[in-house]
Amino acid sequence: MIAFEHVGKRYGGRFEALADINFRVERGEMLFLTGHSGAGKSSLLRLVMRLERPSRGRVLVAGHDLDRLHISQVPYYRRQIGVVFQDHQLLFDRDIFANVALPLTIQGVEPADAARRVRAALDKVGLLHRERALPIELSTGEQQRVGIARAVVNKPALLLADEPTGNLDPQLSADIMRLFEDFNRIGTTVLVASHDLALIARLRHRVLKLRDGRLVGDGEAA
Amino acid sequence: MMSDSALRLVRRPVSTLLTMLAIAIALILPAGLWLALDSARLLDAELDESATLTVYFDADVGESRAMDLAAEVGEQPGVAGARLVTAAEGLAEFQQTLGVEDALSQLEANPLPASVVVTPDATDPAAMQSLSQQLQALDEVDEVRLDLAWLDRLQQLAALGQRMALALALLFGLGVLLVVGNTIRLAVESRRQEIEVVTLIGATHAFVRRPFLYSGAWYGLGGGVLSLIILVLGGNWLASPVAALAESYGAHFALPSLGIGNSAFLLLFSTLLGWLGAWLAVGRHLADIKPR
Repeated sequence: MIAFEHVGKRYGGRFEALADINFRVERGEMLFLTGHSGAGKSSLLRLVMRLERPSRGRVLVAGHDLDRLHISQVPYYRRQIGVVFQDHQLLFDRDIFANVALPLTIQGVEPADAARRVRAALDKVGLLHRERALPIELSTGEQQRVGIARAVVNKPALLLADEPTGNLDPQLSADIMRLFEDFNRIGTTVLVASHDLALIARLRHRVLKLRDGRLVGDGEAA
Repeated sequence: MMSDSALRLVRRPVSTLLTMLAIAIALILPAGLWLALDSARLLDAELDESATLTVYFDADVGESRAMDLAAEVGEQPGVAGARLVTAAEGLAEFQQTLGVEDALSQLEANPLPASVVVTPDATDPAAMQSLSQQLQALDEVDEVRLDLAWLDRLQQLAALGQRMALALALLFGLGVLLVVGNTIRLAVESRRQEIEVVTLIGATHAFVRRPFLYSGAWYGLGGGVLSLIILVLGGNWLASPVAALAESYGAHFALPSLGIGNSAFLLLFSTLLGWLGAWLAVGRHLADIKPR
């Protein structure tokens, strides 16, 4: 699903965010990406999302060589991956339903079909009864679940999450992780960047560990 | 999407109205000048009708001979019509228009010759000049009068006016582009977060651009409608003093209006300008917005 081959990323020609990263992720895997802040977690995710291009090496996702992807193809590529952001990136001027429907609106999915899929996604994260609420009326944990619903409404083959539990208490964090495991169980490849080591250790999935831009660990959490 | 972008504008009525008003004012100047030119063209048409030559016969030509001569003039090539004005009619007309009855009644004999008012086929200065020479060559013709210099000047004035209207239209069209462009730039800026989010989840440039293009078109259309309203109101406001002024010259003259065809053209033009202004602004500013 994902393959990094000798990937390096420099910013401004000097700062080396990532150096010689190599790993493969099989379809249907669930894994964590961990490391202290500034270790390169976000840079790695940005490369997968094709927000940036590597300075060296190749990034392959779902059969695409991202460096060869034409700029006009990038939006269509991004539609194949669902992304959950730390600050959930909801639009505060529209209700929960419209927020979750956004990826479908962008793709011009027919409204009745879209409505059905939005309700299914909201039901999955337990917020079906709040579809007419505005994001501001929800708690932080609920907002994050809306962000997850939006990421999966499209049934993406790959789900990325960047510090999805960063602002949540342990109980809510565990709930969120359980949601990701549910999606993984139905075949979605899930990659979660997190520095919540205690939580990761309990979940027993593969962990990629970054330190100063280098991959220093790859295996099940000890 | 289109109603969505309209709704956005309605939600901020004051700033929307101000933008549309700025566009309207930019449109009114060239449209107003065009109307003024149009009214000049109306005058021009009337003048063309009154663009006649007057052929004065020798003073000793009698009334019956004058009728024969008038018929002869009427058969000349290039003459559309010839109307005889006998010496007596000429005197009566003279008295009426100048109000000098008393002075003329002192005269023992009518000093005016018989004349023929000729309407030419072609009214351009060159054709009239050659017709004048042709008529002058006839027997018993004393003088042919035509005021060419004045016609010439009027045509030059009309040409100047047309160029000025074109230059103003270009200048103010550019003004509309800038007004819309600036407004859209601010709209793009205020929706930066939304643009970033939709770009992150796979929106194409076209998708992001579309609502702004609609907004620009709405601004243009609104500005066009406002400018039409202002033109009509202004026309009505000026109508009565203009009519009174024309009346004092003994003429009937009404200010021209744009009419349905030209109004439709103005609306189409302003809508397209709005669209284009938005397109230029969005193209420039979307490039600056990259998701973090």
